[in-house]
Amino acid sequence: MENKTMQPTPVQIERENLHRVRFTRPALWVQLVLVACLIAGPLVVPSFRAMDVMTKVMIFAVVAASYDLILGYTGILSLAHVTFFGIGAYSMALVVFHSGQAAWYHIFVAMALAVGISGILAVALAFFSLRVKAIFFTMMSLAFAEFVFILGDQWHDLTMGEDGVSFSLPGIFSVNWSDGTFLGATLNGRLVTYYFILAASVILFIGLVRFVRSPVGRVLKSVRDNEQRSTALGYKTFHYKVLSNVFGSVVASLAGVLFAMWLGYVNPTSVLGIPVMLNVLLMVIIGGMGTLYGSIMGAAFIQVAEAWLPDLQKLAVLLLPTVEVAQRLAERWILYFGILFILVVIFFPKGLVGTARDMIARRKLRLAQRDH
Amino acid sequence: MTTQTATAGLQEHGGMDTKKLGVWIASVGIWFLPLLWIDPTTYAVLTVAGLAMGMLIFLTASGLTLIFGLMDVLNLAHGAFFVWGAYVGFSILNGLQQIGWVEGAGAAQSIGSVVLCLLAALVVGGLMGIVLEKMLVRLTYGSHLKQILITMGASLILVEILKVVWSPNDEVVTVPQAFQGSWIVMDVIITKFRVAAIVVGALVLAGIQLVMMRTKLGIIVRAGVENKEVVETLGYNIRRVFTGVFCAGAALAAVGGTMWSIFKEQIHPAMGEENLIFALIVVIIGGMGSVTGSFLGAIMVGLAYNYVAYTLPPLALGANIMIMAVILLIRPTGLMGKE
Amino acid sequence: MAEPILSLAKVHTYIEQHHILQGVDLSFMPGRATVLLGRNGAGKSTTLRTVMGLTPAASGEVILKGQAVQAMKPYEVAKQGVGFVPEDQAVLYTLSVEENFRLAMLSENEKTWSRMETIFKLFPDMKKFWRSKAGVLSGGQKQMLAIARAFVNDHDLLLIDEPSKGLAPIVVDHLIESINHIKNHTTVILVEQNFYMASHIGVDYFILDDGRTVHQGLMDDLVHDEGLKQKYLGIA
Repeated sequence: MENKTMQPTPVQIERENLHRVRFTRPALWVQLVLVACLIAGPLVVPSFRAMDVMTKVMIFAVVAASYDLILGYTGILSLAHVTFFGIGAYSMALVVFHSGQAAWYHIFVAMALAVGISGILAVALAFFSLRVKAIFFTMMSLAFAEFVFILGDQWHDLTMGEDGVSFSLPGIFSVNWSDGTFLGATLNGRLVTYYFILAASVILFIGLVRFVRSPVGRVLKSVRDNEQRSTALGYKTFHYKVLSNVFGSVVASLAGVLFAMWLGYVNPTSVLGIPVMLNVLLMVIIGGMGTLYGSIMGAAFIQVAEAWLPDLQKLAVLLLPTVEVAQRLAERWILYFGILFILVVIFFPKGLVGTARDMIARRKLRLAQRDH
Repeated sequence: MTTQTATAGLQEHGGMDTKKLGVWIASVGIWFLPLLWIDPTTYAVLTVAGLAMGMLIFLTASGLTLIFGLMDVLNLAHGAFFVWGAYVGFSILNGLQQIGWVEGAGAAQSIGSVVLCLLAALVVGGLMGIVLEKMLVRLTYGSHLKQILITMGASLILVEILKVVWSPNDEVVTVPQAFQGSWIVMDVIITKFRVAAIVVGALVLAGIQLVMMRTKLGIIVRAGVENKEVVETLGYNIRRVFTGVFCAGAALAAVGGTMWSIFKEQIHPAMGEENLIFALIVVIIGGMGSVTGSFLGAIMVGLAYNYVAYTLPPLALGANIMIMAVILLIRPTGLMGKE
Repeated sequence: MAEPILSLAKVHTYIEQHHILQGVDLSFMPGRATVLLGRNGAGKSTTLRTVMGLTPAASGEVILKGQAVQAMKPYEVAKQGVGFVPEDQAVLYTLSVEENFRLAMLSENEKTWSRMETIFKLFPDMKKFWRSKAGVLSGGQKQMLAIARAFVNDHDLLLIDEPSKGLAPIVVDHLIESINHIKNHTTVILVEQNFYMASHIGVDYFILDDGRTVHQGLMDDLVHDEGLKQKYLGIA
């Protein structure tokens, strides 16, 4: 047969190239070092505050990456993404809360609930996004997010309203559980939960990366770059958009479950609020849209800023004890987020990873030109 | 609309009329549906409240729709103008309270103090609009994502500054004496300021329609909504027109905020975002760029909100989202949006 | 020799990354109707749009009445006395015919309204549909409105882009008649694919090909030059 001696297709070549450099790419080592740091973190720095920030970075890196899958890879701008995160968080909290006593299987029930509800909702939203103009969809998603927030805030029988829901985790995840020390650190529920979240976040993130690298992801990239061409090539672009929307939303809801597990407390403002949505959007923009890995940097940046910006107020009190306006300005740290929004969009529209990739590509081009 | 559809429309004119009539009857009739579970007296009270609320939402929505229609700019900082208007009005009322124009004031003084509040809001809102447009919105023409991010950022900044200037907490607004209390007409309690809100809303609607339909400026704006390139080649600086519209829209939103603060008798920093959500729904229902459409949308939203909130408060916004979804499924461009 | 009313020298224009005009040289004499000819995609419409500042020139000079206008915004060019009738969607459908005219009037004075009288004589349909929405007009009427609208101002120069597109032959004849009337008052520059119309209006002509000026001359000569027509216009 002639087919056996056929030239490899471009996709095959690319795949083979990727395969060959699998263990030599610098990116891989960066990733491994990052995971190693996160594993060693709580053992080396036994500070609760540091652990708290690290956990939130992990969770929000997943949320931001899942949002990037939708925004950066399909171009659909939804302002209801955090709603899925909130649905996940409330699934976890309410399953435990309403059943009285926390049990092992509750975590899995919560995950199943989160996946189910957000999956169905994501399909409905995705269909709507096809029917209406993109900008209409964005506005509608904002209204929808606000509506779910109000439900969380006012549907007292189910959600306990604005006071939120406190609950305790089962077994070794429980804050009260403690059993000696582990490699020098106190082995308690917190630490177990931390490693559970670390493992789950890494799995979810790899899932997102695999999705983007899969054949579906390739089509998505082509849709993003030129929707008409992809349609003309015979791809039902809509199916791919729905698929990535559902996948991204489900991942966000699972991240919500993790978030609720970490805090042991859920309220509307912290998981359903529009400001949370803005934070996630900012994470994606800072990291760079359509890069996935940028989300990690974006999440780290925002979470670290959120953890330490309030200290600015103390600094202001210290440095300018008599200037009341300065203190009041320092207290309003969301103000700086607003300024950041504008500055990033104007001066840094491709984000950290996007800009870095551009620079590397330009250097490669220069080197190639010099060789010729 | 193409020539073909225009002629097709003319040919089917006879058929269209009965269908149109049916649509009209249905769309008017649906507003009497709540009578099934609400008694007539309460229904009347809710209707007045709904109309007043609709009129005030219209003040925000009219600017938003024109800004979008003219320059394809989605301004999410519109809520910030609204809340600034509310706080400026609040301060003016506090000031006037010192000279006895609020509590215990006569009719003339009460009206005078409300008018002063509105004027102050108009000026502050208008100035903020011009500054924002010239500094930031200019940079975002053509990219919705940038508009959303930059105007969101601007909104965060403006609201935080507001918290510094005033306070991050709720404040109680004192209603000028003549607008306190209510009239009772055939068992129906009609709050006085609701009537004032309806009057102000109607005046603004009339004013906008007059400018849009009877003046050269109105022709330019309407033409710009349809095709700004043609307007530009006819010798008009469309960007300057847009700055003007942005300024007017911001001023109207601020006026809406002042009215809303007296209407609700309290203010809080998040009220701008809440109102923006309503205004967005209204703009989508009415169709981008249509003032009449957003007026109809605002009335619908105001009424539906009040009828549903009476029975099931958490679902009131949901009802509005439902209306929006249904209308969009029937007409993807909204009631009066351009094709 | 008189000064040209409009001239383009080595004009290059890009639309996104596409290099559309690759060095266009043209000059138009006052009072002489000139037609820009060439195949589809030769850059004729872009030339007009570049003059108007809608697709600004990346390099080169556009001189209008002795003044460089290549950096001007469309509205500034219009205020210099240039009327422009774009290719399609020239009229505003949601506005009435009256409002379309009022929009076009840069100043509403006696002189403008006396010009309206002339317009009503040339285009009686405009008076008939004065209060109707422009959207309900037929294709030919819309084109008439677009041209008549450009005529309400005392323009020195009128740029018309493919007025005959999609119109019935009888309507085209009416258009030719009207434009021939207008060209007595103002300098007309016409982009036209319909050679019948072009030859009945133009005095001078330019041929563009691949974004460059390749030929120029008198319309009367071109009409008889079968070789040239074959080569650049694909007319046998």
